[in-house]
Amino acid sequence: MNQKALTRMTTGAMSAAEDWSFLADDVTKIYNGTVLANDCITLHVDRGEVYGLLGPNGAGKSTLVRQVIGLLKPTRGQIRLGPVDLVQDPAAARRLCSYLPQAQMPINSLRVREAIELSGRIRGGDAAAVRRRTDELIEALDLGEWTRAVGQRLSGGIKRLVGFAMVAVWPGRVVILDEPTNDVDPLRRRLLWEQVRLLSLRGCAVFLVTHNVLEAEKSVDRLAIIAGGRLIAEGTPSSLKAGDRGRLRLQLMLVPGTGTPPLPGWVKGHVRVGHNLVATIAETDATRGIGWAVWLVGAGVAEEYALSATTLEDVYIRLTGDVRGPRPGDT
Amino acid sequence: MGITALAPRPAGVLARAADWGNGYWVMTRWHLASLRIWLAVLAVIQVLAGGGSVLAVALFFRRMPASAALFMATGVPVINLIMAGILLGPQLVAEQKLQDSYEFFLTLPVARAAAAAAWYTVCLITGIPAAVFALILAEARYGIPLSVSAAIVPASLLTAFTGTMLGYALGHAIPSPMLTYLLTQVLLFGVFGFTPVVFPARQLPGWLAGLNWWLPFGHMAVIVRAGLTTAAGGGIASSYLIVALWGLAGALAAGWAVGRRR
Repeated sequence: MNQKALTRMTTGAMSAAEDWSFLADDVTKIYNGTVLANDCITLHVDRGEVYGLLGPNGAGKSTLVRQVIGLLKPTRGQIRLGPVDLVQDPAAARRLCSYLPQAQMPINSLRVREAIELSGRIRGGDAAAVRRRTDELIEALDLGEWTRAVGQRLSGGIKRLVGFAMVAVWPGRVVILDEPTNDVDPLRRRLLWEQVRLLSLRGCAVFLVTHNVLEAEKSVDRLAIIAGGRLIAEGTPSSLKAGDRGRLRLQLMLVPGTGTPPLPGWVKGHVRVGHNLVATIAETDATRGIGWAVWLVGAGVAEEYALSATTLEDVYIRLTGDVRGPRPGDT
Repeated sequence: MGITALAPRPAGVLARAADWGNGYWVMTRWHLASLRIWLAVLAVIQVLAGGGSVLAVALFFRRMPASAALFMATGVPVINLIMAGILLGPQLVAEQKLQDSYEFFLTLPVARAAAAAAWYTVCLITGIPAAVFALILAEARYGIPLSVSAAIVPASLLTAFTGTMLGYALGHAIPSPMLTYLLTQVLLFGVFGFTPVVFPARQLPGWLAGLNWWLPFGHMAVIVRAGLTTAAGGGIASSYLIVALWGLAGALAAGWAVGRRR
């Protein structure tokens, strides 16, 4: 971004004097009078924040996002961005919010540069500034090789990056990214996350909708976990993990075909996904945890193990339940 | 980068008009760029369909009656003018729904009317050359005494507008893409075969002619024919009114379908 634009931005409509924070207040959405998709969700996001929305499939994340951008109307509750009531004014919602949907952008016949520039122009950017910003994003996301390629010739990951660039080229005050890193290779993921952070530094409130808890842990300032339509936890990644302080995760890769081995009494909880068994243990039980894991490897039950600090994923799974079965028996 | 300009809406009438114009212009560019691979194909199909119809009708007769030639020559351009709007438009929307990109378009900060106007422009761009070609071909083949007047301009614009808006409404209002595909095919078939566009209404059974009086397609042919020949009959004003009312109804229905929030 050039200095002039930055100055305009920081002294103009985005001045600190104006409160452009986002508020969802008691948002409830009931489909067809029976299906409760969002249940009294209240959350507040400041400009400049990257805010994660995490939750299992069908948790109600997309319903919430669709209400923010004016595609759905809440059954009850308010959604505001600064002084603007987004529920009453869906046209303003479209103007103030940029949206990267989970599906790929419809750019099969558009060239990469063209798609990004047209998106910037649609959002009201003037031609020269949009062109400069497009150059900036193409370089930052390492898309130079494909600028003249049409969308249908792009791989899924590159198409995803182009979609992100279409949103970031002239962003709204709120930027909603639904699984932005789907199909993107690890190197370019880093580039994308850098750009996400830059959007927040430039004053946008960024909503990150994702299932990728580990990525979210590194990328968001705060996050909400939504399950069954309700907001069940909110905070910084560290604060959400606070309840797991003093605990470790013992991860065992079980030999295919073997059942879950009997768990010692000092194991606080466990989750099994495929051949991956994750047990939660107290820090004070680290030594016997390693001993148990070594014994399982020696007995041919497990192939390898790893002992590490608990992650946000452990918290997420504890809160939302094991996708394979009943909620793990945490103690 | 500019999030400076992001007020809820532009302040002042001039700024809003400029914003509307920008939305219209960029969406037109978007559509043309998105269709660039298909525009040439569509143009060829339009020309072949129009030109083919003009020539094929002569096969029904040992000697082509002048009135049949006149109706065909002045009716086929109507089909050309509405084909993109009534067939391609809803099918593209159906495809967006199938590919999950429909909601992306709904979230773009472009005035709904500006987006519709952009699509109308694309329909005109694809329809007018084929309509002109069909006319030239008919004149060359049958020696139709055409008398093109300025009335052809509003007649063509209104015909294409109504076709576009009806298609726009169908595409956005029907949730099932498959149903949209089927309905648009049936509609075009019905327009060609069972509405008085390429033949006179008196050749239809009474009940169907009566039904057609309430539909826009025969009236589209009346107003277009009035701009192409001096042989047109009366009732032009009522035909304009009926076509315009259908166009307005289509626009309102499309506006409702696009703007509704569940």
